[in-house]
Amino acid sequence: MSNATKLKIGLLILALVIPALPFVSHYLLHVIILIYLYMILALGLNIIPGFNGLLDLGYVGFYGIGAYTSGLLTFHFGLSYWLIIPLAFLNGALWGVLLGAPTLRLTGDYFAIVTFGFSELVVLFLTNEIWLTRGPLGLPGIAPPSVDLSWFGGPVWEFQGELPYYYLAIVMVLATVFVMHRIQNSRLGRAWFAIRDDEVAAVSCGINLLVYKVIAFGISAAFGAMGGSFFARWVTFLSPDMFKFWESFLVLCMVVLGGMGNIWGVMVGAAVLVSLSEVLRDVLSALGMPVEIRFLAFGLIMVLMMRYRPAGLMPIPAVAAQMRVGKVKRKKVKRTATAG
Amino acid sequence: MKALGKGLVLGLALVFCLGTAAMAADTIRIGVASPFTGDLAAYGDNIKAGVNLKLKEINGAGGVNGKKIELVWGDDLCQPKEAGTVASKFANDKSIVAVIGHLCSSATLAGMPIYVRAKMPVISPTSTNPTIGDVGKGWFFRNCYTDAFQGKYLASHVVKELLGLKKVAIFYENNDYAIGLKDSFIGGAEASGLQVTGAEAYVAKTTDFTPQLTKLLKDKPETIFLCGYHPEGALIAGQARKLGFNGPLFGADGLDNIDYIKIGGEAANNTFMTVPFLAAAAGPDAQKFAEAFKAETGREVDWMSANAYDCLAIVAEVIAKVGEDRQKIRDGLAAYNSADNGFEGVTGLTYFNEKGDCSKPAFVKKVEGGEFVPAE
Amino acid sequence: MFLQQLVNGLTIGGIYALIAVGYTMVYGVIQLINFAHGEIYMLGAFFAVTFILGMGMPFYLAFLLAMACGAICGMLLDVIAYRPLRQSPRLACLITAIGMSIFLQNLAMLIWGSRPRPFPSDTLPAWFDKTWHFSQFSLTGFHLFIFAATIIMMLGLNLTIKKTRFGKAMRAVAQNKTMAALAGINVNKVITLTFAVAGSMGAAAGLMVGAFYNSLYPTMGYLAGVKAFAAAVLGGIGSVPGAMLGGIVLGVAEAMGAGYLSSLYRDGISYGVMIIVIVFIPAGFFGVVIKETKKSI
Repeated sequence: MSNATKLKIGLLILALVIPALPFVSHYLLHVIILIYLYMILALGLNIIPGFNGLLDLGYVGFYGIGAYTSGLLTFHFGLSYWLIIPLAFLNGALWGVLLGAPTLRLTGDYFAIVTFGFSELVVLFLTNEIWLTRGPLGLPGIAPPSVDLSWFGGPVWEFQGELPYYYLAIVMVLATVFVMHRIQNSRLGRAWFAIRDDEVAAVSCGINLLVYKVIAFGISAAFGAMGGSFFARWVTFLSPDMFKFWESFLVLCMVVLGGMGNIWGVMVGAAVLVSLSEVLRDVLSALGMPVEIRFLAFGLIMVLMMRYRPAGLMPIPAVAAQMRVGKVKRKKVKRTATAG
Repeated sequence: MKALGKGLVLGLALVFCLGTAAMAADTIRIGVASPFTGDLAAYGDNIKAGVNLKLKEINGAGGVNGKKIELVWGDDLCQPKEAGTVASKFANDKSIVAVIGHLCSSATLAGMPIYVRAKMPVISPTSTNPTIGDVGKGWFFRNCYTDAFQGKYLASHVVKELLGLKKVAIFYENNDYAIGLKDSFIGGAEASGLQVTGAEAYVAKTTDFTPQLTKLLKDKPETIFLCGYHPEGALIAGQARKLGFNGPLFGADGLDNIDYIKIGGEAANNTFMTVPFLAAAAGPDAQKFAEAFKAETGREVDWMSANAYDCLAIVAEVIAKVGEDRQKIRDGLAAYNSADNGFEGVTGLTYFNEKGDCSKPAFVKKVEGGEFVPAE
Repeated sequence: MFLQQLVNGLTIGGIYALIAVGYTMVYGVIQLINFAHGEIYMLGAFFAVTFILGMGMPFYLAFLLAMACGAICGMLLDVIAYRPLRQSPRLACLITAIGMSIFLQNLAMLIWGSRPRPFPSDTLPAWFDKTWHFSQFSLTGFHLFIFAATIIMMLGLNLTIKKTRFGKAMRAVAQNKTMAALAGINVNKVITLTFAVAGSMGAAAGLMVGAFYNSLYPTMGYLAGVKAFAAAVLGGIGSVPGAMLGGIVLGVAEAMGAGYLSSLYRDGISYGVMIIVIVFIPAGFFGVVIKETKKSI
């Protein structure tokens, strides 16, 4: 067993026993669950810039779609969460495909802008269509998930407190990691990497660019929606202003910070940024400064990261090479200029 | 890779340390949740001023049951998500026995399910949305009136009787507070025989209202209902005047802030608003409170500060009777259930119905000559 | 009502045009969407208020000085954040731009507080308040000032691009950086100066909006920036006349949409326009579709 695997297993065991430790408060569990949630989102987003080399600025749109799917189905029909997970997943995938099909043939910048516009339209729709989403009135009192064993005479057990959510989140993260890992090493993943490295070469190998890109986008959106479905039934309150562009940027930061394309890297990125956010929240309010400016730190971190470590903290070799390409070229030009 | 693993554990350790937060000192801890930063920080300042004044009085007199009261501040930015985090923090801190807040109805709505699950009594000085009582399941109380009452009052009393006008245009913000208020106003308008010539919605932070105002003014309303908060209300007033509208404007408690006059300037004159508390019109206790407030903060008292002051007073009185147990405090608050069993404070008599709502009178004030004056 | 909505639309449209040319010029020379441009717009307004209130300057002087500050901020943005990444992949530049935007917004919040503040309207020239009421619409002196300022700046910009050496250099760099360098043009200097021009116009726009609508707040650049970007795309990204036309069209469309259709989806009009234009007619009115030959990341 390699060192890396040992470390991962160690962390998993640690994660499983954290709630039992004596000094762990509910608030801390809340934060760690938030970390797990963002891990799922970051893993989902990672597909686009990491595996496909595109920039998705509208990820929060799918997050919101998943959350409202989950919230509305629970609010109006009392649907069980275990049914909602696949439904949210599929709804996210559907919208991913609908958005991706006409837009994925665009080049990087334009695609980024279109995704941004899409997520803003999603927020506007959620805010204004009060008959469907209750808009700014919000959806309060969404029921927590429950395990209903009554059909064979067992009890109905509703999630209470943070503990059940904690373990559910771990399961979801593990499932996501597993799926990502398998995709990465499958034909699908290899096709994506080929597209990212050189589109022309990929096409000449017989890869249909649009189909693979749309599949990627659909899967990414599906995981975003799944994360959203968990979010809805965890905080039990939804309102459209929870799904603003800022969330997309935050998840993007996690992917970039951790190392695009690296599954473990983005998980670390998620953990670091969420922890940083909460630490800054406490530090700033202790210092008497407005809590919102913790985002200032994030902006600064991103700028510095792009300047000095554009491939992230734990980059995978392919992405690192790509990000370095530009810099190598510049050095070469300088040398010939002085030589000549 | 190993180094990063260590770094990760270290990072988590840091979060652990913060999670273990303050050990309960020998004080009575009460949470106060409001927007203390952000766009509506001005309102949070009001709450802070009100509770701090009462805190000074209580602790100065020796505290409650021999213990001083300690306030724990939670900044919810008037946003549901932050409110949820603050609520979670308060609910899971076993040393906090009651919460005063939140300020915005949407924040309270977001926090209530968490408080209900944690069995934490909550009293809000300012949340006026009528549905909170249903979500609160007996754990929510408020000492301000609800928008169901305020909207009708605006229609029947302010527009019909005070202003004597019939045609009203409504400009409302697309959020829970304003939508609830607008709906109840329209209901009251129908009952009072008023004519609503048009209703336009806007989102917060809009600065250009001219297209919608143009549309509303086309139907020649006699007065415009500024159904929202003061930042936008002031701008609408200014732009309406620029477009040639000279009639009176009116609004509700959301407009009640000195910034309305500061931002609106000349245009703010001839605006009427309903407020839960008006020092000039209230009794001698209230006058004394108003003077003490002015001495302490250097500015005139407003209804949010007054309500917050009373909230802390009510909670302190209940704790003095039943001790520091959340369930007992809730029951103690619920015991104020009729005019005979009410709490007499600077904002008048407060008692709650089974949903935690209370009925309080409304007062009307207006802006004249760049100042707030009573309107009747 | 139609004429009044037209007046409303032209006013806000002129503002969008001023901001949009900033986006389009920068995109023309370095193919970067400068997300932080909206923040320069915001800073222009705040600097002006600081000059007027803090130093007692008269309005016109504060206006010019704010424009100068906008130019300086634009240049600083380029030199500090974008120039080091000149050879980096696009993704890095885009993320840096977003990061700078967020950084500047929060910096403004730290310095000036996040509450909306009014513009000191008593310091505006008196003729701004003069109103002319016509049967179908009203016009104030301030409207006229905005129209005049916008038109003058647009004409000035057009002249600069077409007639001056700097304008020629800018067009050359936009066409092909390598060739421009070979022709002896200091590419970096031209780019930085382009940022300066863009920044000055953005700051002017911000100042006028802050004063006209009487509200300044640190996040005001976000929405205006997005809409102006939509305008630039509509006009054809990279084309300055396109951005001007796009801005005006978008402003009028917004006013008409808010007035006749739904005011709630007012912002949605910009997003919708942007998406439809990009997906179906990426060249916009006057633009040229840039074919990307290297990898998109």
